Amino acid sequence: MDLIKPVKKILIYVDGSEECITAAQYAIVLAKNFGAELYAMYVVNESILKELLKANIFIKAEEMDYEHDLVQDGKRYLHYISELAKEKGINTEIKLEKGVVNKVVTDYIKSLDIDLVVLGELEEFTSRSDSFHDETELILRKAQCSVLIVKDPDKVEQIYNSI
Amino acid sequence: MRLSEMLKEDNVLIGFKGTQKKDIINELIELADKSGRIRDKEEALRAVMAREEMMSTGLEHGIAIPHAKTDSVSEIVMALGISKQGIDFESVDGEPSKIFFLLLAPETAATANVKLLAQIARVTSSAEFRSRIVSADSPAEVIDIISNAE
Repeated sequence: MDLIKPVKKILIYVDGSEECITAAQYAIVLAKNFGAELYAMYVVNESILKELLKANIFIKAEEMDYEHDLVQDGKRYLHYISELAKEKGINTEIKLEKGVVNKVVTDYIKSLDIDLVVLGELEEFTSRSDSFHDETELILRKAQCSVLIVKDPDKVEQIYNSI
Repeated sequence: MRLSEMLKEDNVLIGFKGTQKKDIINELIELADKSGRIRDKEEALRAVMAREEMMSTGLEHGIAIPHAKTDSVSEIVMALGISKQGIDFESVDGEPSKIFFLLLAPETAATANVKLLAQIARVTSSAEFRSRIVSADSPAEVIDIISNAE
């Protein structure tokens, strides 16, 4: 019987943090080792923008302005990650969307039949409220495929540099 | 990134010298600059005042969150000032503002900037938090209260 390839499609969830870059480096190493396809996704968090507008912290023009900045932020991160992958001979399919982050990401996982989502280390939290708003944690809980949380950036960088 | 990690004791002030909006913002900018990360304080003031001219960042329940995107910083800087008596900051409910969070961010830090603003909105939505922070006697106590609320 042929061995089933354990991981065929890997998705990196890109949230604009340093932790997601570490996650991306590890995902690149895994993609190279497994011969898997690599995907990276950034979602403009429209819920948080609406929350700030509702709280009167943003005015409408500001909400639109920040949305534009988030798109630019997402593009920068996705470009950077695809360059990291390219250095190791891996092609990355990048995707930038807007909406409710965990829903958009989990829908994308389903639509592509992703087998592994790679996330950066979760932020420390102490309250239920933080947990409710942490999109990375929501993806961890809601994704229907296996999820890997990447820790130890120094070790990961060493591994990434070694391939 | 947590608020209590962003704010150092040096960036927290209890009691302002000024009573006018521009003076308060200036004091907050001086406070934020104690981290030595503001390249051009005049530009920072201009950016914050420009945002205030669009609409005051004085919110309900004694909260004010003056903020701006500005090239005068290369990373996000914050300051927190507390006025026990309250100061007229042209708030939406007409009440004096007592808790002032200043946030300055470069354009390239949109994701972190938006997350921090949302965190401020969440912690300040608690009446207990607002009451405790206005009653605090020292910057260390203020940071402790924020840390417990996060």
